[in-house]
Amino acid sequence: MTKRKLLAGLGLGLVTALALSGCSAPAGDGKVTLQLVESLTSPARTELLTKLIGEFEAQNPDINVDLISPPTDQADQKIQQMLQSGSGVDVLEVRDLTVGPFSANGWLSDMTGEFDGWDGWDSLTPNAQSVATAGGKMYFVPYGFYGISLFYRTDMVKDAGFDGAPVSWDDIVEQATAIQDPAANQYGYAFRGGKNGYTNAVLAISAYVAGDIDVTNAYRLKNGDSIFSAPEALDAMDTYLTLFKQASPPSSVAWGYPEMVEGFTNGSTGFLLQDPEVIAAVSESKAITAEQWNTAPMLVGPSGKAIQPLATAGWGTAEASEHKAESARLIQFLNSGDASIEFTQKNSLVPILTGAADDPFYKTGAWASYLYMNENPDVYITAEQPRGVAWFTEWADKADTELQQVLIGQMTSKELLASWDSYWAEKWAAE
Amino acid sequence: MSRHTTTATGRPFTRAGAPSVSPQKTTRRRSFSTRRGLVIAAFMAPAAVFVAVFTYYPMLAGSQMAFRNWNLNNLTNTDWVGLGNFQKIFADPNFYVILGNSVVWVVASIIPQFIIGFALALWLRRKFVFRGLYQALIFFPWAISGFLIGILFRWMFNGEFGVINDLLSKAGLIDAPIPWLAEPGTAMTAVIIANTWYGVTFFAIMILAALQSVPDDVYEAAALDGSGKIRTLFSITIPYISTTLALTVLLRVIWIFNFPDIIWAMTGGGPANQTHIITTWMIAITQRGDYGQASALGLIVVAILLVFSAFYLMAIREKKGARS
Repeated sequence: MTKRKLLAGLGLGLVTALALSGCSAPAGDGKVTLQLVESLTSPARTELLTKLIGEFEAQNPDINVDLISPPTDQADQKIQQMLQSGSGVDVLEVRDLTVGPFSANGWLSDMTGEFDGWDGWDSLTPNAQSVATAGGKMYFVPYGFYGISLFYRTDMVKDAGFDGAPVSWDDIVEQATAIQDPAANQYGYAFRGGKNGYTNAVLAISAYVAGDIDVTNAYRLKNGDSIFSAPEALDAMDTYLTLFKQASPPSSVAWGYPEMVEGFTNGSTGFLLQDPEVIAAVSESKAITAEQWNTAPMLVGPSGKAIQPLATAGWGTAEASEHKAESARLIQFLNSGDASIEFTQKNSLVPILTGAADDPFYKTGAWASYLYMNENPDVYITAEQPRGVAWFTEWADKADTELQQVLIGQMTSKELLASWDSYWAEKWAAE
Repeated sequence: MSRHTTTATGRPFTRAGAPSVSPQKTTRRRSFSTRRGLVIAAFMAPAAVFVAVFTYYPMLAGSQMAFRNWNLNNLTNTDWVGLGNFQKIFADPNFYVILGNSVVWVVASIIPQFIIGFALALWLRRKFVFRGLYQALIFFPWAISGFLIGILFRWMFNGEFGVINDLLSKAGLIDAPIPWLAEPGTAMTAVIIANTWYGVTFFAIMILAALQSVPDDVYEAAALDGSGKIRTLFSITIPYISTTLALTVLLRVIWIFNFPDIIWAMTGGGPANQTHIITTWMIAITQRGDYGQASALGLIVVAILLVFSAFYLMAIREKKGARS
């Protein structure tokens, strides 16, 4: 009786083990199955990716692609866990924020070999090529860029007595102050004081020292010091704080991305500095019509120049993947031809393909300012952000907290700049 | 079925006093018990393994991270650093601000939660029309995710577009909108209001359940003796349910101390760390990849709560001892 029970137990265990192992068995038809994990997930984007994957599978009948779409907030942590476990991911979305830690941990494959001789390489813009080969290794190939432009209310600017959008940081202080009318629930500038609020402060500082910036590291001056050490940085911070005190909603100390975009799309603020992905959200606004808003190039500093902090993300291959060649084929498909154009246009990204910006899509309406900036690279200088360093998230946390301390009067802007300068100086010295 | 009793020597006897089983039989019984024990152990094994693998192993693995340089941004060097992570935390001036915030957060949340929850429970104990519906409505917040509540309150407390300022303004209580989440004092008040709204339900549920155990005839006797409402509350109701009240408060203190959801969603710990409590700070540290320091903070939280619970339970026991 006992033996029979034991045998039954063993049998059951065996069946369970076989059933479970069957879940991860390779397809019997000889097809390779790739696991693709996205990070900046949204329903519309997932739908688009699914469609593009369908097209890829039709062209490559020997490859199946499974798309994994974790919610955006937890996506990078999920990807980290998957990479750490060493299984379950072949192709992944790599962001400029994650490429540093992921590659430092040996989780990303250098795809230089797989991309050697790829006929789509020459179609990439110089920016895309430069990002793809940064540091001499190809850990990811960007699928697009997120640039910054100034969203502004054409009607508010006109009503305040100005001819056009502000060009410089001084202009925006003047115009936003004129627009500000808290009694009417109307504010000048959608200030970002909450999460990632430091980015716009750095944008202002960069514009003030644009001529002296080392374009390979947007936080460093050509003389090797940090941009926060320059005397102009203090002028920039003073201007930026004036913009907050005179022309922004008081509660914007706590505003992050959702509040800023809401502040502009609900019609209560006149100016917003944001990525082009906001174009879609503003276009759908019921509070403001298409005639009431537009975009303008980034704000310049006293030298008449600005730094365009291109943020980027792309596709990479996991070091643990057993299908690196097939993964490279998928990335090459996504980053070339119609697939790339469709992906960048539908996600409001600055394109990676040469000539894609000539498409009428990028020449009209809100996109025209991006084209203008692209055509004037001496004024709108593209500088590489040091977002790939392992300590960047620590920096963002520190910078956000200290900026809020300045906004609520617990710290002076001079102390802030000294703290930021010493932070970067110490990090660079330890490299 | 025979009923057995045992002698001082432990030998089993029947009621008649004769040995119920021979030594041989005893051995057989023991071997049967061993086998039975093994069967029970075998049945328990899956659950025990499950708990060991999914609860205790991660807990121990997490604890050992506290003594390592465990940073997700660079896992090439995860050496032992001894108490280095703890030293870093204690050397950070933010820790003491955040510890103070945690105490304010717990105390200022639990007092209104307790008072309002108690009042609701007393009210719900009475029989009235649609009592079931009211009970369901009051218990509803407990079924909502803390993060979702945080997001909702974040918009409600928005200085420019929030409904709270709108209502206060329409009621003539404020002249200009209050930037609730932008100033340290008002931000802490806002997150405590949200937490109070959420936690009242728990007290109402627990106290209502305890109130059902107070016999009606005691109240009737008290009424006959001419006891007023206040006297009845303090002399009958509260003493009857005091154990439940004490344990509910203890549980709630632990939960509120460990409850980052609402703060994280409403302020993210800002402005400038002024609403961070230890557990939201732990999330922030985890998000920047420093799992070593976050684990050390986790152990500090465990230590604080253990010490608090020990003192609290001792105080309750002493009070009960003094009363009896």
